[in-house]
Amino acid sequence: MKRLRTNFLLPAALAAACMLSVAPAIAEDSVSLPNLSYRTGPFAATGIPLMNGQRDYMMMLNERDGGVNGVKLGYEECETGYSTEKGVECYEKTKATGIITQPWSTGITLQVLPKSNVDKIPILAPGYGFSPMADGKVFHWAFNMPASYWDGASMILNNISDGNLDNLKGKKIVLLHLDHPYGKEPIPLLEVLAEKHGFELLPIPVGLKEMQNQSAQWLQIRRERPDFVVMWGWGAMNAGALTEAAKTKFPMDKFVGIWWAGHDGDMKSVGEAGKGYRSISWSVPVSDSPVMQDIKKYVLDPKKAEIGEGEFDWVFYQRGVLISMFTVEGIKAAQEHFDTKVVTAEQLRWGLENLKIDDAKLAEIGMTGMIAPFSTSCADHAGHAGGWMLEWDGAKFVKVSDLLQADQSVIEPLVEAEAKKYAEANAPWPVNEDCKM
Amino acid sequence: MLYRTAGQFKTSYAADHALFPVRQDAWLLGVILLFAFVIFPLTASEFTFKALLTPVLVYSLAALGLNILTGYAGQLSLGTGAFMGVGAYACFKLITIFPEMNVLVAILLSGFFSAAVGVAFGLPSLRIKGFYLAIATLAAQFFLVWLFEKWAWLCNYASSGSIQVPTVEMFGTPVFGPNALAIVQYYCVLGIVTLITIAAINITRGRIGRMWKAVRDMDIAAELVGINLMKAKLSAFAVSSYVVGVSGALFVFLWRGAAEPVAFDIGLSFRVLFIAIIGGLGSVLGNFLGAILIVALPVVINTLPASLGLPISSAMVEHLNTMIVGALIIAILVIEPHGLARFWQIIREKLIMWPFPH
Repeated sequence: MKRLRTNFLLPAALAAACMLSVAPAIAEDSVSLPNLSYRTGPFAATGIPLMNGQRDYMMMLNERDGGVNGVKLGYEECETGYSTEKGVECYEKTKATGIITQPWSTGITLQVLPKSNVDKIPILAPGYGFSPMADGKVFHWAFNMPASYWDGASMILNNISDGNLDNLKGKKIVLLHLDHPYGKEPIPLLEVLAEKHGFELLPIPVGLKEMQNQSAQWLQIRRERPDFVVMWGWGAMNAGALTEAAKTKFPMDKFVGIWWAGHDGDMKSVGEAGKGYRSISWSVPVSDSPVMQDIKKYVLDPKKAEIGEGEFDWVFYQRGVLISMFTVEGIKAAQEHFDTKVVTAEQLRWGLENLKIDDAKLAEIGMTGMIAPFSTSCADHAGHAGGWMLEWDGAKFVKVSDLLQADQSVIEPLVEAEAKKYAEANAPWPVNEDCKM
Repeated sequence: MLYRTAGQFKTSYAADHALFPVRQDAWLLGVILLFAFVIFPLTASEFTFKALLTPVLVYSLAALGLNILTGYAGQLSLGTGAFMGVGAYACFKLITIFPEMNVLVAILLSGFFSAAVGVAFGLPSLRIKGFYLAIATLAAQFFLVWLFEKWAWLCNYASSGSIQVPTVEMFGTPVFGPNALAIVQYYCVLGIVTLITIAAINITRGRIGRMWKAVRDMDIAAELVGINLMKAKLSAFAVSSYVVGVSGALFVFLWRGAAEPVAFDIGLSFRVLFIAIIGGLGSVLGNFLGAILIVALPVVINTLPASLGLPISSAMVEHLNTMIVGALIIAILVIEPHGLARFWQIIREKLIMWPFPH
């Protein structure tokens, strides 16, 4: 029986009702940009620099320029602690006012993805999420610019094969991955490439519970003697893998990670032993770029916001800055196209779909060299920007390669097929019919 | 005063054993049902449905399932999360293999799959007890989650490896999927939870419930008075897993809309176990109270600073939340180790005496 329910639920409902009615009325000249952040929980160490970077770029624009064309950027965080359950709560809480949503975890992305068609809110999942989201015709409301995981996998292989995948013939490549939707992302593409170019692919999963103790996996790696180990790691798994690799004396120059496996914080605990480890990245930290100096001048020096010591130079902090840049450039594009100041969610979707981040643009916003130029279209929501190899020199990541590009001739048909499969499994799924590209 | 029992005479055994020996209890329940069925749906926003009402009901149901096993039959289980997963995956397979099946039927059928799995993993209970049994159910927890991850057939070979709920309609209204209205889903959940709660009250008050309680209190004595232990224990596992499985199907299909295998991890089992313990083992009411405390309270606390206009960052609120809820759990268990249900019972007894305690 539910006798006491009134006593608890009534105030609960009242409080919720209060919250909704008292919520500050959105002033004419600001937009609400919610972010489902994770500064707590098991992945907080990676989340904090990313969130700080995003917050500080928006704060800097508000301080320096008074927002974007006079519209203040209302950056709001809703803490999920990387839990999918809190993700639902946060999405429901922010969707009424927010004009964008950033789910930040594969689990939350999967929950939010189907709802975005109904609620008409763009999802920004920069460099993560579901690789087929690149197909803008099917995933009308989702964006994973500047590059998908499949782009990352292709770039890594291009680099380790010296530009010709046929060089990998007969070689053995281990994919050390988190046993989670995120870690399994590259497998479909790698399987196709393995068959085409005649190398052997061996996926070795690392369970969520064994992230810190990977001795079994590394024993297997030692036995298999692979030519390369490619890592799709996250959080504590990266430091765990590096420590084991150093312990088993695996050559670090044969060990490459995806962009989320290149976090300074994780590497610090490995230090000198991790020297030579490389990670592909679509972003490069350039601490003396004008934008970073402005963040220092307008936000960090006046103590408007605080970040950890040394965090300013980290790959992840500056990647956070770039992520906010995508949103802001989307808003700018929408403002111009629709000739309005305060953009709506639908207008922002158009803006994100028509991003043109070229060299001139990067110079204008003071980000030259931090990211490769790219552009999006209604059919291409990923942009497929290139990336660079960053190498850990024992104290920081340094850029060691020229700009790498993914091989779209293999990725495109796969994106199309997988997107179609998703749409069929979730029928009726609305497809963007207007897009004629 | 409010709970005056003067004038309510019991003239038969049946009246003495009625579900509501005190008339006010029935009125109170009536008021609560009125709120649940009429007033909340009329007033609640989508956020309230999605973040407060529906999850509280789903978790209450899961805790009710566990409570049947642990609170009534005395068999400790740590596999609740995985059994919820079995229900969810079963429901997913049912609606994708038989798309024309009525959704409510699919949900109620999916419970039978988890009941079967529950009975299979309940077999060790015939020989082992207490903490040792908890370890055996823990094995079920790890095994099943591993199975959800590895057996791609379960999620129809989706490349993400997780269940995505398609849009399914019932009588022309979408009930599952992104197009379903929160209020429709709430009514479905409420209907199923009410139905199962009524059934659970009747089972636990009747012959089977007494059999379970006898086994819980002392299984050797129960055996000596002629109770078939195997039947009692396995029926408890079956009924409990059925309820848990249905709650798992509701959890994914009428609330979250998608679920990866990790969602059914040990954390979920513990969460449900805490709800059952804090609510009160061996009570039906306790599950609802526990769910309100563990599921709804943090959500309410999260919205408080914003509604009061306090400038606290979201991460800070989350930290405060963990501390406040943790402290509350400890305080409640110190004040009343038998849980919130017992707490309410004491309050009610005091109210009956009030204002003239003897």
